[in-house]
Amino acid sequence: MKLNIIDLPKDDYKGGPSSLCPGCGHDQISNVVITAAWENGIQPNRIAKMSGIGCSSKTPAYFLGKSHGFNTLHGRMPSVTTGANVTNKDLHYIGVSGDGDTASIGIGQFIHAIRRNLNMVYIIENNGVYGLTKGQYSATVEKGSQKRKAEANESPPIDLCAMAINLGCTFVARSFSGSKKQLTSLMRAAMSHRGTAIIDVISPCVTFSNNDESFRSYGYVKDNQSELHAYDYIPTFQPIADVEVPEGEFKDITLFDGSTLRLETIGGNHDPSDAVAALSQIHHAEQDQTHVTGLLYYNPEPKTLDEMLNISDTPLSELTNDKIRPSEEDLASLLADLRA
Amino acid sequence: METIVNDFTFNIATANGTGSQSANLILLQSMFKMGVPVSGKNLFPSNISGLPTWYIIRVSDAGYQAPGDRTHIQVLLNKATWDNDIASLESGTVVIYNSDVKLPVERDDLILYPIPMTTIARGLNPKLARMIANMVYVGVIAELIGLDSTILDSAVNKQFNGKAKAIELNATAITLGREYVAENFEQICPYSLEAREVNPESFIIDGNEAVALGALFGGVTMLSWYPITPSTSIAEGIITHLPRLRSDDNEQLTCAVIQSEDELAAAGMVVGAGWAGGRAMTCTSGPGISLMSEFVGLAYFSEVPGVIWDVNRVGPSTGLPTRTQQGDLSMLYELGHGDTKHLVLIPGTIEECFEFGWRAFDLAERFQTIVFGFSDLDLGMNHWICNGFDYPEKMDRGKVLHSQEEIDAIENFGRYRDVDGDGICYRTLPGSGLEPILYRGTGHDEDAVYSEDPEIYVANMARLKRKIDGARTVLPQPILREEPEQQVGIIYYGSMENTIQEIDDILEATGLKVSQCRLRSLPISPIVEEFVANHEQIIVLEVNRDGQLYGILRKELPIKLVPRVHSVAFSDGLPPRARKYSEMIREKLLEVMS
Repeated sequence: MKLNIIDLPKDDYKGGPSSLCPGCGHDQISNVVITAAWENGIQPNRIAKMSGIGCSSKTPAYFLGKSHGFNTLHGRMPSVTTGANVTNKDLHYIGVSGDGDTASIGIGQFIHAIRRNLNMVYIIENNGVYGLTKGQYSATVEKGSQKRKAEANESPPIDLCAMAINLGCTFVARSFSGSKKQLTSLMRAAMSHRGTAIIDVISPCVTFSNNDESFRSYGYVKDNQSELHAYDYIPTFQPIADVEVPEGEFKDITLFDGSTLRLETIGGNHDPSDAVAALSQIHHAEQDQTHVTGLLYYNPEPKTLDEMLNISDTPLSELTNDKIRPSEEDLASLLADLRA
Repeated sequence: METIVNDFTFNIATANGTGSQSANLILLQSMFKMGVPVSGKNLFPSNISGLPTWYIIRVSDAGYQAPGDRTHIQVLLNKATWDNDIASLESGTVVIYNSDVKLPVERDDLILYPIPMTTIARGLNPKLARMIANMVYVGVIAELIGLDSTILDSAVNKQFNGKAKAIELNATAITLGREYVAENFEQICPYSLEAREVNPESFIIDGNEAVALGALFGGVTMLSWYPITPSTSIAEGIITHLPRLRSDDNEQLTCAVIQSEDELAAAGMVVGAGWAGGRAMTCTSGPGISLMSEFVGLAYFSEVPGVIWDVNRVGPSTGLPTRTQQGDLSMLYELGHGDTKHLVLIPGTIEECFEFGWRAFDLAERFQTIVFGFSDLDLGMNHWICNGFDYPEKMDRGKVLHSQEEIDAIENFGRYRDVDGDGICYRTLPGSGLEPILYRGTGHDEDAVYSEDPEIYVANMARLKRKIDGARTVLPQPILREEPEQQVGIIYYGSMENTIQEIDDILEATGLKVSQCRLRSLPISPIVEEFVANHEQIIVLEVNRDGQLYGILRKELPIKLVPRVHSVAFSDGLPPRARKYSEMIREKLLEVMS
């Protein structure tokens, strides 16, 4: 059996059977999460999988069965993750959300998680519809989208990547559930990042939104995807000298844990440290009615929330009782001051 | 004229944001340091600067802490309330007023002390005149009632934190106030202070700071909060005392503090931190509790510990944001959709604010649920005499498994399997490497797996009920003051503790002796049922309109006891005054006993 760097089989990263519709993009994303965590050699019990409510948020039951998790409230995954993160800052937090969960009911918590640079991977499984309630438009759906038996959507879409970049998010990527190789590299890089890593994954809803005119159908994305780079994730335990050097131009980004994301030039020349260029890519893609995918923006500098709070090096959840309760002498001296 | 010693009430009418709070605290602190029982009530507006504020100081050898039913000494600085303040005074009231305001005091039945406060203050420092004018009335009062000048000096010193310039300026203003009275008035003030024996153990503090200190000694590891009157000073208290009390050897903090984007997120952070094994809390008031409702239901059903302090202000809606009420009790008890029930701790004293501040965490982790602390603006933001805090009992971290051996010792471990028969199940923590659990707010079986099975749902809900019911004898029990063979018992809770003695004395003066039962937690202790059974008539006394505890008692007491339970509930935003409530109690008893 094939084992990863910490001698675990891939089965140790799998979850229960999915109850989503056959062919759902979300299941492909779950498989990528499994592969990425396994290939990166992260101990499953050092991962916390978090989600909100919706089709996407059900998926933590379908991956990483040996990890603790919390399927929270609609739109509130970020706040629960925030509380957990400062309590045990040493875990890997993987949050799963949808476009309803993030772009509508949870937009406030999405914004503030980014503002705090909460150290987590934040996956948005973005299909443009509300699935569990039978196919209403979400806030990320394109203007003019026309569903059967419904009025066309007249409101412009919210682009979560553009929003994240504007908020100073430290890792912003867009991908497609059908682009397994690209998504896996980006997922692995996100897991190696320290700070909020947003991956907005276009994930077709095969039941409610897979007609070819729909911007998030398999057919449409396949024909209208423009990739920023080709990616190769080189883990810290793999000597980079052993990796075959690509023929064309490339650029290496060193991630927090020492691993490398290799960006191979395949067309244009996007620099992920340039926020304005990233916004321009998104803007032009929207104009052209295409999807730009890849690592849009990356900035490893800002502090994460747990670093800003000046909390103990030992996770707060692991402090013994005597470390979190002041002594009797402390009380006596406090009372003496209050009495003075 | 007879002099009244240590039994009178001040009312100081100023405008918000003029610095009068410093002057009032100096007065309060000085009288306290003379050993005289005092309490202070700040009636302030929802405003930064300009709207009317009244500060009430009750001086009472009897130890009464409610605002008195009348004013004996009125201080007038505020034009906006001038006429109404004067009109409401009883004959013979001492009125100290700023004569520079140039408004008339057209009553000849008052004892008047016109003082040119602004002129005196301007003479000292024109720029700070508005603030210094407050110190002038401190001097006037000190001279009139006989406030010890050494003690007053040290109160000024304390208030201004040893800052020499400020101390000198304010002390001079006080002296000028004193001198003005001595030189210009011959009449004798009918009210005077006499020093009493000083209790060296006691000090003055507000309830919110006591809760904050209790939480810090309770081992809080995460505070998430969103600013809202009147709870903000709990969070600020924690932030202030955190470095001193909770720094580790590397000068790093053992508690994370996050100012959240709203109360909803604050509650989410509490749930996340509790899930991850921390001792988490937030503090808020009614509007925040409304927003936290969904998370509280999640914590109840997925069984995550957490502490939420509600410092009650007047609702509904934005209500009277800077006034006091006991209007959130029934909401807290059953917050959330579906069938829920929560543990509610209800301190009535400053000492209990501290005690429940730490105890809430032990109870939350023991019962794996949300524990509410229920305070109110009166208890939380006003200043009270405190006799000190007892060091907490040994910490109870609840049923958390820390090793595979512990799991193996349990036959057929499941997160929601009731091994011990008390409804409380064992949990493992994220990162422990032990038995992973996917927590959820959806229906789940004993192994935490999603389930919509009717029987599993019923069994789970029955276990949750059993778990919460098990707390009835564990939570802080009621405090009884039973008179032998009395017909009437009063059940009350929270800050009413500070008015009840005076109510009792008023009732007794009219020939009515009553027993008292102070409830200190929900769900209700069996002792309450006994108390009801032991009395023919029960009055449930509370500071709200609808009788919220009365409603809970009607629902939970045996049906045969319900007819003897009656509600006396009233709320006008002010701290409860004894005369009003004792009259209502008498009226209610006349009605039900006739």
